[in-house]
Parts: sequence; C-alpha cells; structure tokens
Amino acid sequence: MKLRVLVVAAAALAVLLPGSAGAIPAFARKYNVACSTCHEAWPKLNDFGQLFRDNGYRMNRGKDNPVEQNGSYWPIAMRTTVGYQFAQQEGVAVAEPPGTTTTKTGTLGFAGLDILTAGALGEQMSWLLVYTPGLGSAGFGTGPADGDLESAFVGFHRLFGTPFLNIRVGKHAPDLPVDEHRILTLTQGYNIYHFHPQGSAATFEPGNNQAGVEIYGHTELDALRYSVSVATENDAIFSNNWLSSPVVWARVSGRLMLNNGLLPEIKGGIFGSAGWHPVQALTDPASGDPVSGTAYSNQPYQKFGADLHLLFFSTVNPLDITGVVMFGNEDQALITNGTRSAQWVGGFVEVNWVPTFNWAIVGRYEQIATTQAGDPTAVQNEGDLTAYTLAIRYTMEFSNRAAVTLVLEGSQVSTTTSGMQPKGSTVLAGIDFAF
Amino acid sequence: MASLRPVLVATLGLAAVALLSGADQGGDAAPVPIDQGLAARGKPLYERFCISCHGPQGDGHGYAAQWLDPMPRDFTSGIFKCRSTPSGTLPTDADLMRTLRVGIYHTYMPPWAVLGDWNLRALAEYIKTFSPKWKEEAPGQPIAIPPSPPDDEASRKRGAVIWANNQCAKCHGAKGKGDGLSVPTLMDDWGHHITPFDFTSSDARKCGNTDTDLYRTFMTGVSGTPMPSFADSLKPEEAWDLVHFLHTLRQQE
Repeated sequence: MKLRVLVVAAAALAVLLPGSAGAIPAFARKYNVACSTCHEAWPKLNDFGQLFRDNGYRMNRGKDNPVEQNGSYWPIAMRTTVGYQFAQQEGVAVAEPPGTTTTKTGTLGFAGLDILTAGALGEQMSWLLVYTPGLGSAGFGTGPADGDLESAFVGFHRLFGTPFLNIRVGKHAPDLPVDEHRILTLTQGYNIYHFHPQGSAATFEPGNNQAGVEIYGHTELDALRYSVSVATENDAIFSNNWLSSPVVWARVSGRLMLNNGLLPEIKGGIFGSAGWHPVQALTDPASGDPVSGTAYSNQPYQKFGADLHLLFFSTVNPLDITGVVMFGNEDQALITNGTRSAQWVGGFVEVNWVPTFNWAIVGRYEQIATTQAGDPTAVQNEGDLTAYTLAIRYTMEFSNRAAVTLVLEGSQVSTTTSGMQPKGSTVLAGIDFAF
Repeated sequence: MASLRPVLVATLGLAAVALLSGADQGGDAAPVPIDQGLAARGKPLYERFCISCHGPQGDGHGYAAQWLDPMPRDFTSGIFKCRSTPSGTLPTDADLMRTLRVGIYHTYMPPWAVLGDWNLRALAEYIKTFSPKWKEEAPGQPIAIPPSPPDDEASRKRGAVIWANNQCAKCHGAKGKGDGLSVPTLMDDWGHHITPFDFTSSDARKCGNTDTDLYRTFMTGVSGTPMPSFADSLKPEEAWDLVHFLHTLRQQE
C-alpha cells in the first residue's frame, strides 16, 4: 500500500509541475508585439499564435530570419512562478503509529523554471530548446532534482513549397487536443495525458514531450491540420528493434469560423496513438537489471479520443468551453497479473473565460474511470481519478518584453488507492512571470 | 479689376476642376457613418493585437513604436499608404481589409488573415474612429485598372523612358536599388526618414506583390510618403509600361 501511495504521489507530483515551454517572450521582443498577439491568455495560444507556431515561428513579412535581426537580439526567454502554495494529501502511509495520515505543507518558494530559446533558422527552418534545470531547493518541493532538456527540435517548414508538409526532428510535444505545455493552471495538469491503468508497464504519456519525428501540415490559415509523431516511448527499456519501443501519435483537427456574436468559432479534432512496449529483456549478470537494447516481446497499447472547443461571444476574448474524451486499451501482457486487456475512459471539461486580454478565469472537471482492469482479482477502480481545478489569472504586465500574471488557484484530486479515495488538495497564490 | 480678371478666371477654373475631380473621386459624397456596433466589436481586437504599436489613441505611438522602422501608422491623420483610391482620399473598406489580411511586407505589420474577415471588418471600423476625417469625407472611388497590355520588349523600353522622364532614379536609384541621390532627404509626413523601395531585392512590396498592385501604387501614390501619384501625368498604358520595365530591374540582380 505504501508503494501504491508513493506511485500515486509521484504521478501527482509529475502532473503538478508547471508546464514547460508555454509563452516565449523572446518572440514578443523579436517582433515587437504584445504577448496577447499570440496568446488568448498566456501561455494558451490563440489562432494567430497557433499559425505562427505552425509556420515555424514566422510571420512571413521579411523579418523572420536571424540575418534580419539586430545583432543584439538574443532569443532567450525564462519562465517561473513564485508565491505561496499549500498542499494537503490524505492517505499517506506512515509507520508510527501504523496506518495513514494527512500531510499538510505550506511553502513559500517557486515552482519550476524554464529556460527557452526558439526562433527561425534560415528560410525554412526553426528550432526550440527548453532546458529545465534541477531544482533541489525549490520551495514548493515540486522541482525536479535533475536538469532536463524538455524540448529540443529543429523544424523544416513548407517543404516543396506547401504548408501541408512540415517536419520537426527531436524532442517535441505531440499535437494534443489541449496543449499541456500551455496550460493555464499550475497546480493541476491534464491527468488523462499521464494516466496508466493499474499494473501497467507502458510508460508513454502524451503529455510529455517525445523524442522522435513529427510530420504535420495545415492549410494556409490553419482551418485544417494534421500531425503524426513517431517516437520512442519515454523511459522505456530500449527494445532491440530498428525503432526501439515505438509509439505513434496522430491528430487531425479543424476550426470553423461561424461569424456570429453567440458562437463565432468552433474547433474539434480526433486523435489516437498506438505503441508497443517490451515486456522481456536480457539482464545484466551482476545486477540483474535489464540491459538496454535487448528488450523484446513488444506488446501493444492504444489511446484514442476526440475533442471539441466552443468559443462563445468572441474569438479573441472568448468564453471557451472545451471537452476532451480519451479511451485507453493495453494488452494483458503489459499488466501485472493481467489475464485480459486493461481498458479505461477519461476526459475533462474545461471552461476558460477571457473577458479581457488580461483576465482569465479557468474551471476544469476531469474524471478517469477503469472500464476493465487487466487483473480481474484486483480492485477494479484502482487508480481512478476525479479532479477539480479553479483558477483566476490577472495579467498586470503584458508587453512586448514580459508577462507578469497574478495567480490564485485551487485544485483537488481524488485517486482511488486500495479502495479508498484519498484527496489531494492544493492552493496556490503566486506570480507567474516570463521574460 | 482688369488686372485681377485672369487670376479670378484661373481661380474659378481651378475650383471647378477641383470640384469635378473631387466628384469623380468620391470626395464630395456624403461621409459613411461609422458603424458603432461594429466598431465596438473591433475595440477589443485593437486592444489585443494593435495597441502595442499603434497606441491607445491610434496615433502610432504605442510603447513598441520606438523600436520600429518604419513607424506604425498614425490613424488619427486619416492617411493610408495602401489604397485603391486617388491620392489624398480615404481608402475603401476593402483597402483596409486587404492591408489587415496580408500585412505590410518589410515592416512589423503582420498578416492578420487568420482572424477571419468577420473580425477584421470590425477592426477596420474601429480604426476609423481615430480620425475625424472619416466623419467629414467619404472614401474615394477606387481607380479603374485596365488590363495589362503585353509585357514585351517594346513595352519595357517605353517604361525605361518613363522611368527616366519622371526622375524615378532620384529616389529609387539608377538601378532601382532604392539608393538614389535624394534618399538622405526623404521624410514622411511625420518627419521620419523613409527609404525608397529596392526593386532589385524582392518581389514582395508593401502594398502588394502583383503587377496590378504595382500599377495601383503608381496611380494612387503612397500617401504620407514622398512617393507621388502619377495619375495626372501617366496614361494607363504608360503606367503598365513602367510596371513592365520594373521587371527588368529585378532580373538585373
């Protein structure tokens, strides 16, 4: 039980980390535009920002290439959040007295740090690097101990002169229904992007950036988009294939301008992934650990779903209601003691209201339920999850240099653990800023 | 009195010509009232996308303007570079929409087409609220653009003569590189130094890339800049000859 709580806590911790990348004020400095040009509410992209990203960080007005820039321009940006965070977690196992307790931590500090550099290279290329340094001293206790290259890719755009063919090579974000790296909440991410059915050996989480290749395309104004990412499953023992532990993620999406004052725009998409995770490997004679590159017996797992986004009243300061549903299926061989495939369904409804460009009110309800446990003898709803998040963001500085936002946020997540539903709650009052 | 008669006749004549030409250009037409509902819908768009450069008063003095060259448009003046209407007149809604959609090349004005015409039309209407000129005048009538005659050697040679006769090289340079002798003295209406277009460097021009766009620029001028309208001095076929001649400058690169 202690192990399960630790696993749940670790998973929660991973979700609690603020999304990396997000806003890149280096672009605002380069083009001398306000952050609100590309962000509905930063770091969430609006249609203009999405097209700018799809075009390889270009506005295509003859000012994109490095040689067009003043030599003093340096395309680096940083983002972090400072403030106070209170976290409470029920059901934490303790030895003395034996049983569980509720932990409470109130800390002043900061959560995460992203150092970003991105831009256009030459006529048709782009790059993005996001470095997240190790944060052993982070006050919220959520910082990773080790540094990580969160993103690292080079993009090739408008191949053969068409926007329908672009390639990103390197560690990149799969095309998600709602980009977790540009999430508006800081204490709770999108759990469906990180969910594994109980006992699962697979490690692919679409919410994490993937090392691989993304091929994507779009119409000139992004009315239709497609994206296919081929990657190696994160954190898996490498199988001895030409592409170790492969996973494919794909999404097709579109947007439609309805040109009326009630519902001026709708967006939607379908997405899915197929991956293969090895469950056998040769072992090191001394340690007994699996040897990377020897794993075999790849077993399949899939995720698929759909998303719908309704923008009410305005396309630029909208009441944005988003619904996402995702189904998961994993082969029984991937499940500890599995005798049948493991299946689950999850989803969330999120309401973002952006009454003006500097206010954002966010509410989200998320639920994940196991529809079939791989081990029929286990607790059937182990790991199932319900989460609520409410956030208010007021951006007090929104310029072509920086963004500074006051954040008040609360979230609660309840995860079934050994038949119990311990709750984890977090309140954050902080300042989210990027420069 | 007798000595004043020629002056009087000339003045009345000029006034009549001005009135007639004004009528042709739409300058005497009644102003088109600003659609306040549309403008109200355009205001949040302006505040989100435009204010950093064009400023809260629309005077081109947004906080980012100090870093921009060329400077952002001052909407309070009612002067717009890219128009289909005669020099000195207000642009049509279609002109404003075209600039909003495609942006202005070689400047920091991005293309906003992704926002959709429903939004851009509202934004264009809001931009009109910054200048009293929109309450006093109607937009000009778009000039007629006849079909291009064949772009042949003869046309290009005639264009070269027109280029020389109109002293285009004074600003744009002998080879069209935008390095004419007058360059150091060229200022726009706001006193900012302005650089003539380099016809050898790119096909992408501020007011459009097509030959028709170029013809229109010759015949309407670029208001607010030293680039005049040649509508009174060039016949349509001569303007097309000049367009064809400019192709040769690009080819000389």
